[in-house]
Amino acid sequence: MTTPTYNRVSLPSNDNVNPYVFCVDLNGQWFAQKGKMIAYYGQIRFESLSAGPLDALVAANFHSPLYARDWIVAQGQGKLLLADRGFDVNSYDLTDGNLTIRAGNLLAFEPGLDLKQSIIPGFLTLIGTGRFIAASNGPVHFVEPPVRVDPQALLGWADCPSPCHHYDHSYVRGVLGTAGSLLGIRGTSGEEHQFDFTGEGTVLMQSSEVVRDTETVLRDLEGQIGMLGAGGLQRLQHFIAQRLAVERD
Amino acid sequence: MLAVDLMGETIRALNGSMVAYDGQMTFKRQGITGGEGLRGALRRRVAGEGMTLMEVTGHGTVYLAHEAAEVTLIPLQGDTLYVESESLLALDAGLRTGVQFVGLRGMSSGQGLATTKVEGHGMVAILSDGPAVALEVVPGEPLQVDPHAYVAHRGQLQQDFVTDVNWRTVLGQGSGESVQFRYQGHGVVYVQPAERGGGVLEI
Repeated sequence: MTTPTYNRVSLPSNDNVNPYVFCVDLNGQWFAQKGKMIAYYGQIRFESLSAGPLDALVAANFHSPLYARDWIVAQGQGKLLLADRGFDVNSYDLTDGNLTIRAGNLLAFEPGLDLKQSIIPGFLTLIGTGRFIAASNGPVHFVEPPVRVDPQALLGWADCPSPCHHYDHSYVRGVLGTAGSLLGIRGTSGEEHQFDFTGEGTVLMQSSEVVRDTETVLRDLEGQIGMLGAGGLQRLQHFIAQRLAVERD
Repeated sequence: MLAVDLMGETIRALNGSMVAYDGQMTFKRQGITGGEGLRGALRRRVAGEGMTLMEVTGHGTVYLAHEAAEVTLIPLQGDTLYVESESLLALDAGLRTGVQFVGLRGMSSGQGLATTKVEGHGMVAILSDGPAVALEVVPGEPLQVDPHAYVAHRGQLQQDFVTDVNWRTVLGQGSGESVQFRYQGHGVVYVQPAERGGGVLEI
């Protein structure tokens, strides 16, 4: 049981090396998330999106200022190996499609695709034709709406209307009570909240609830603060102070 | 998990890595010099490249594992394997170990200034976060590796840094892949599909 040894020629071309490593046969430019490159053969340079010569490419394909600092462009020729925290890595082809995916799980995509921010915080939408690479904690499952999905197990969705939040009745009742609105919700099972999908399309789920997106959610919220006026900001400050006091107890 | 069939021979394994065995086994913690002689032990102490191995002898099967990490077997035929001491699970008793100073490379991956060297004929089992991928390096075809994904390498390889640190890096808008190891020569490099955190060169 010795591991096979790969070289530049024997590495698969645009395919998985093993379930956790993907090899991109780079000839041109790809967008990639920072820090996911583990090794490469050939002449490849990594540039942040702020690099001057990339202006046209970024203007054409990258429309998410919130995540711009997390992304780079790999350009050149060679074999590029991508991996993420030992998660399962898979490639997907979109043909004139529309797919939304959790921001932290998208590793790389071809410039044939346009990247935009989804309405749902922490998610990114890819539109167009091309290939992208995504990571999931455990294998990916494809399900068809109508379906309700645990927010942490949701990886993304394709071609169907954006989901809405669904809360169980006991949770709603908790919020309506005075204690609930003041102290936050207590004594819940943790499964009262789901994303509700309807219509035609495909929903992608991962086999665990491991996500790492506090950072992205935080940045989404920060991005939305701009919409509030002075009065709104004061009210938010008051609310945060109240919640902080509760957390400290 | 690694299963080793023993028929009277001895292997060296990471202290505390035995999870089960059948047959007759004796486990002996290696003495203070760790089989590297007094000089070797001093070098190891100076380098801070701590390594505690135990000797396992007996008849039967011993099962070794460490924090559910993946195990990769590397057969050595007279060549040298360079590996971090914490990535070493087990090795044949006939193999020699020593400390190699590597300078800044270890610093950048957060693993100290020295690495462990294994030489001789026999089998080495190394640990990685996810299955290790073996990448061959031949003359004229260098390989670049992210310091955080590096696990081990073997053969006649020269190692140097590739950096493209520029003014954007200073502004905190670096590409995140500004520092890479470049391997040239003849050999094999092992990388893992996950990136360790905690090097000094987080740019």
